[in-house]
Amino acid sequence: MSLVLLEDVKKSYRIGDQEIRALDGVSLRIEEGEFLAIIGPSGSGKSTLMHLLGCLDTPSSGRMEICGRDLSSATADMLADVRNRELGFVFQSFNLLPKLDVVRNIELPLIYSGISKNERRARAVEVAKSVGLGDRLGNRPTQLSGGQCQRVAIGRALVNRPRILFGDEPTGNLDSTTGEMILEMFRQLNREGKTVVLVTHDPDVAAITKRVIEIRDGRIRREYAP
Amino acid sequence: MNLLICLETALREIAAHKFRSILSMLGIVMGVSSLIAMMALTAGIEKGTRAFMQQIGGLEFVSIQNKEISNALFEFWNLSPGRTLMDARAILAAVPNVSQVSPEMTHGALVASEFGSDRKGVRGVWPDHYVVARHELAAGRFITDLDVDQATRSVVIGDEIVWKLWPALPPKEILGRTMTINQSPFMVVGVLVRYEREQDKRIRTILAAQNKTRGVEPVRGRQSGRWDPFRGKNESVFIPLSTLFYEFKSGLFPADSVETVKLETLTFRVADLDFFQETLAQVRRVLDVTHRGVDDYDLETREEWFDRMEQSISATRLSGGLIAVISLVVGAIGITNIMLASITERVREIGIRLAVGAKGRDIFLQILVESISVAFIGGILGVAAGAVLIQVLIVVAPTENVPVMTWGSVLFSVAFAILAGIVSGIYPAMRASKLDPIEALRYE
Repeated sequence: MSLVLLEDVKKSYRIGDQEIRALDGVSLRIEEGEFLAIIGPSGSGKSTLMHLLGCLDTPSSGRMEICGRDLSSATADMLADVRNRELGFVFQSFNLLPKLDVVRNIELPLIYSGISKNERRARAVEVAKSVGLGDRLGNRPTQLSGGQCQRVAIGRALVNRPRILFGDEPTGNLDSTTGEMILEMFRQLNREGKTVVLVTHDPDVAAITKRVIEIRDGRIRREYAP
Repeated sequence: MNLLICLETALREIAAHKFRSILSMLGIVMGVSSLIAMMALTAGIEKGTRAFMQQIGGLEFVSIQNKEISNALFEFWNLSPGRTLMDARAILAAVPNVSQVSPEMTHGALVASEFGSDRKGVRGVWPDHYVVARHELAAGRFITDLDVDQATRSVVIGDEIVWKLWPALPPKEILGRTMTINQSPFMVVGVLVRYEREQDKRIRTILAAQNKTRGVEPVRGRQSGRWDPFRGKNESVFIPLSTLFYEFKSGLFPADSVETVKLETLTFRVADLDFFQETLAQVRRVLDVTHRGVDDYDLETREEWFDRMEQSISATRLSGGLIAVISLVVGAIGITNIMLASITERVREIGIRLAVGAKGRDIFLQILVESISVAFIGGILGVAAGAVLIQVLIVVAPTENVPVMTWGSVLFSVAFAILAGIVSGIYPAMRASKLDPIEALRYE
């Protein structure tokens, strides 16, 4: 069974009197263990596709199934539940909470899945060590470098043991060396069996994946293996 | 997301913005402290008034008054013997819920000792008068049944009389001394305490504390511009009712005996207030018989008077409470305002929380717990500020009844602060929980 199943998904927004078709009939299937990149210029609809795949939004029409759940017309709470249990996000701008230290940032998703404090702490510390931040547990994001921040973000994305890991331009705010290291982490995670979806406009980033989907004008223009 | 984490997050947020938090608490602090002070003030007034009501005899005190009989009944006027000792004895015998009856006759006379003299109303009473009028002895005893039976020349005097006749002598040393009433010698067997209002007592204790020796003694004598409800009690001169009749009245009414002479005052005390109206009805039935059906008396109770006092107490409480509640509402609006500003500042944080799986109700709860925490801390600070305010009031305005801070008022005020926190947090929490995660994440 596919992890992600999109069938003729359309998404349109209204801005004033204008109706904007961000996605115009996208069909897509992602299997367990895939390493996938979605590329396209800005305005192509790749962000909208990313929001749908990331369960931040629902399609206007069409069928969307993620991790076996039909989310074509899901409520906000259902989406939140899938985000919390099945998905992990890594953003371009890290999106860490500045007032919380590394462990508290990493454990954030577990708070919303109702896991007890002790287990939460233990899992957060374990994940922090696995992303190489074992000596930075009590630091706040402002005391960390960009690469370290992104590792905290990866830790936070992994702590709830998601089935899909999303990266939205994960190297966009990093220098090339650090970006390379972060990409290597993604690659390693995929090698360990995690399904990874990267959204990017950078062909070099797309090149490390096994399957590239190019979006233009709200449609899948082509699909290839680099 | 459980409440404990919400609380932890809220306290972290409050601590991170100390100045802003204190500003938003300020309204609640002021509201709660004024509520506490207001409630303490009214509680003090209430206590003072209640004590005063007790001292003047309480609700149990009923007076039988003469009444003009109607023209239609005028022919029968002679049939009624009026208020006599017969009434007193009949009421005592027939109405079980009347515990004491106090018949009274008064005679204006010159009271004198070797040191001073004054014209006063000398009152002939029964021993029951002690209970009915709620007297208290400083030394000696009151008029007894034996005094009444044997018409002894015993006298019990109030504090003002003591000061007229034997200035500055302690009550104990006055016992056994002889004074004259219209030149007849009487022996002082009892001295009553000094009756004074709670606030006068308080002023004296404050004066005493400030100035170790002076001001400890109560201010005696008639004072202009001040109404002292206890002046009558302090100027008491009590002798047995029988003595008063034989000594001063028998010549005036040669046809009468002490049993048939008309009394000047007739009062009684109801034992159980639960049967107040029933008791009054029974007394009326007895008096209808003794007065041979002539409607020449009235029962005067203190119900209306006390009701008016109660009404003014609750009016004070209501208006004071209203002002304090208004300031609490203003405080709540302050919290709402600052919470709204705070969530605008934290849109991105909320977006991140939503992205990692927080539901709308998690965000709602977090904001609500935060505003409740602010209000609760404000409430606690307000209670402390209120306690200080009360002390300030005691020093600044000592003539008032002493304010009483009750646990009830503390609980009420803190509960009200929490309510203000809930009310003020609901709208910002709703706004925060309705945020769209995509928009919120994009927010700069």
